[in-house]
Amino acid sequence: MKVKREMAKLSPILREVISQVFKKPATRRYPEVKPKVPAGLRGRQIFDITLCISCGLCARDCPAKAIEMVDVEGKMRPLFHLDRCIFCYQCAESCPRNAIKSSEIFELASTNKSDLVVKPKENSVSGGSQ
Amino acid sequence: MSLDLNFVFRVLVFPGFAFILLFTMFCDWVERKIEARMQNRMGPIYTGPVGVLQPLADFIKLLTKEDIVPFNAKNFVFRFAPIVSLSIFVFSFAFLPIDGASVVSGSNFEGDLILVLTLVSIANFLLFLSGWSSTNPYSAIGATRVLTQLLGYDIPLFILALAPAFLAGSLNIAAIANKQYVPFAFLIPWTFALFIINLQAELEKDPFDVPHAETEIVAGYETEYTGRRLAFLKLAKDVQMVLGAAIAVELFLGGPYGPIFYGLSAVWYTLWFVLKLLIVVVVTEYLTCIFARLRIDQVLVVNWKLLLPLALLSLAVTVGVGLWLNPL
Amino acid sequence: MASADKILKALSDSLGKRIIQTRTLQPGKSYIQVQTGAHKDAVRIVLQEDNEAGVSAITGVDLGETIELMYHIRTCDTIITIGAEVPKKDAKIESITDIFPGANFHEREVSDLFGVTFEGHPNPKRLILPEDWPENVFPLRKEVSVANIPSKIGNFGVSKDEKHVSSEERLVNIVLGPQHPALIEPEKFSLRVDGEIVRGVEPRIGYVHRGIEKAAESRTYLQDIYLVERICGICNACHAACFCQTVEAIMGVSVPPRARYLRTIILELNRIHSHMLLLGHAGLEIGYETLFHYMWRDRELIMDIMEALTGNRVIASFITIGGVRRDLKEEDVPKIKAELTKLKERLSFYKNLFESDSTLKMRTRNVGVLSKQDALKLGVVGPVARGSGVNMDVRRDEPYAAYNEIPFNVITYDEGDSWARLMVRLDEVGESVNIIQYALDHLPTGPYRVRVPRTVPTGEAIGRVEAPRGELFYYVKSNGTAYPERVKVRTPTFANILSFVHIAEGGNVADVPASFVSLDPCFSCTDR
Repeated sequence: MKVKREMAKLSPILREVISQVFKKPATRRYPEVKPKVPAGLRGRQIFDITLCISCGLCARDCPAKAIEMVDVEGKMRPLFHLDRCIFCYQCAESCPRNAIKSSEIFELASTNKSDLVVKPKENSVSGGSQ
Repeated sequence: MSLDLNFVFRVLVFPGFAFILLFTMFCDWVERKIEARMQNRMGPIYTGPVGVLQPLADFIKLLTKEDIVPFNAKNFVFRFAPIVSLSIFVFSFAFLPIDGASVVSGSNFEGDLILVLTLVSIANFLLFLSGWSSTNPYSAIGATRVLTQLLGYDIPLFILALAPAFLAGSLNIAAIANKQYVPFAFLIPWTFALFIINLQAELEKDPFDVPHAETEIVAGYETEYTGRRLAFLKLAKDVQMVLGAAIAVELFLGGPYGPIFYGLSAVWYTLWFVLKLLIVVVVTEYLTCIFARLRIDQVLVVNWKLLLPLALLSLAVTVGVGLWLNPL
Repeated sequence: MASADKILKALSDSLGKRIIQTRTLQPGKSYIQVQTGAHKDAVRIVLQEDNEAGVSAITGVDLGETIELMYHIRTCDTIITIGAEVPKKDAKIESITDIFPGANFHEREVSDLFGVTFEGHPNPKRLILPEDWPENVFPLRKEVSVANIPSKIGNFGVSKDEKHVSSEERLVNIVLGPQHPALIEPEKFSLRVDGEIVRGVEPRIGYVHRGIEKAAESRTYLQDIYLVERICGICNACHAACFCQTVEAIMGVSVPPRARYLRTIILELNRIHSHMLLLGHAGLEIGYETLFHYMWRDRELIMDIMEALTGNRVIASFITIGGVRRDLKEEDVPKIKAELTKLKERLSFYKNLFESDSTLKMRTRNVGVLSKQDALKLGVVGPVARGSGVNMDVRRDEPYAAYNEIPFNVITYDEGDSWARLMVRLDEVGESVNIIQYALDHLPTGPYRVRVPRTVPTGEAIGRVEAPRGELFYYVKSNGTAYPERVKVRTPTFANILSFVHIAEGGNVADVPASFVSLDPCFSCTDR
């Protein structure tokens, strides 16, 4: 009777640990199995040069000073420095023409510094780095 | 000449030095995989198939790291304590029958149980010295905790180990293992349970993890060790674990003796030994996973107020059981 | 029962002529400026009228020739501010630590950053700035600009005022930190130990001080939202919410109902993930690794919800001045509710575990006990206070976002030990799940954002939010431009860290990690 009361107060971890051995692990085998990211993920920026009006609001509002207005064929366009960027997307909000959109590319680690800029060139729909 | 070669083979390769080290690494992998599965994660998966080579990879990695000796450390003891400790643990295997006969055939004698347990205590003391000679406050605290815990728990260990010796009527480990037609774990299960709990304390696993409580004293007595010496220290601790489990297997589970189906008896004996040892490893790992870490004063309370009286009581009950079984 | 009007009347009755002016910062929050010597009497009167009152923060504002010190006292569900001015050339004022011990760290911080000397302070050493910072460079004064703050500081030797241990005392100095496996962020605690008993604790914070309050003055309000979010990664939505609330109070802007509900949802998600992080971390500190892995695996449910809602797992960047930045789509709501139901089942397992596991209780029961009187005197906030029986919660006392329309319980436990503090957090996770489910069921339609101008009219306001660790306090003063004049942040761990000294003294050395982790310290918040 007393033993039964003590047994009833046994920690639930005793059975839980044994039952976990037979369940699938919660770890994902990352490089082979990629996670499914939701649609609104704030990943690498995609810049559409045809919509840009060179107002410079994105560079002015960036909290991390990660956008530099550079001269591309006579007009000022934004260049995104991803190593300073904090991915807040204030630039996308400030842009009056919605020229900046986010993508689902989040694997941005690279051994090459030139991969960490998003250049405003005509035919660069950004590819992510491996 | 041929006798010498046999001796050399048995001591160095199988079931001696090389086998013990490789088996230790295998048991380490089993431990990590089981702990990972109990915690719903994967454990080692990349090195070798299913991660089997991970302990070997860790060992080799440590061998390649820089070896730093602190300026104030007592040089001789600091340098040699891990290696001597490892040698003593490996040497203690000489008296355990692994493939039906002990490593050096004919080396068993009456009373080698006491010798093995004494060697284990000496090697534990050397672990304490390795922490004490580091002259680092964290190592010193870890070392004193090791000493307090191991000295305290050695006494119930001896008492509990005497129980199967009494049932078998001899202090010869090979003889104790041989006499178990029914493993003693089924005849005197209370002693077996207490022995397993005592083993947790000897091996410094949760809930008796206090000598190397990472969140309080960094790494305990291992703090100042790096590179090669840390590799040997970790290996010494792993061999300690396998040795402890092996003693439990020999004393309570019938050692390597089990049914032989066909072929070489040595192969079957080794297989049974490995299987029983893995069972003990899984049980100790289960106990590790379900408990938090006790404080040092709570560890001492469990020892002196709980384990020691229960060990004495179980010895008394075993004597009673033995006298009842003897007429059989 | 004291009420704010009674307190104001008592103040004007006893101080009479020594009150210089009275004005209202915001509806319900009054500011009383007194002569410099009279501030202590004013604080004493307020504390006597309401015995659950506490000094919430002490703000310093540089007004050019003088420095204005504001004592914000939390009482009767609002904040009453007592102000006093000291001239810059001779910045001395009397300390209030003898009537309210919890003001210890607040005064040291003001003296570090503004150069005000508090007479009668028991321990006037440096708090936030490093030991060898030059003597009379006070960063938050307006004449010190970012350019002329010294960039190279001298050798970092041992501090000159470390007390030596005399041999008669038999005390050993054990230093916990700055780098230690028990601490997730660097701070230094020197423990004076006699055998196994702790006789004294000397905390030294400021290792992660980044000067956020100074940096906020040189960025626009819009950029400041992202700056204050990064004061702390774990409670980032609360910082953003508090800042935006305060600025909206200055502007007189009211947020649409849908935005208020969405803010509530993200704030409660933040609370759940922070509490689960801490409970797992508590398991790690006491050696219970299995609990850690299970708790963090279940926390991933919340991280996935946050990723779907805000676009990022940890830093939400969801709240802005005028509302929220994104909308919650109708088709996502059933998925979120399903995940929350799964979480609720797991919670019953954890509740059972915490109440019945023997080794866990052996490590946390009667460890680090903080009595109710000490909790009130030291001014602790959040689950640390609620674990000692003090019934305070900003969500109920001064509702913000949508909390005045959502029913919930405030959890208190009376034991005051580490176990009680952990149980408070576990039960709060359950309450938060209920709040989110209610909010999702009653989500109003309409716009989720109003456009606000970039410059903020002159004014000042106070905002309070119940962060996972306690009451978060913001004071923002604007001068009519797009850049704020002063942003003052008082984080909950800053108020709680003093109680660690109190609960560690007299206990075992081995209990220090267990009691420490139950305070849920977040040093990035403490140091800003």
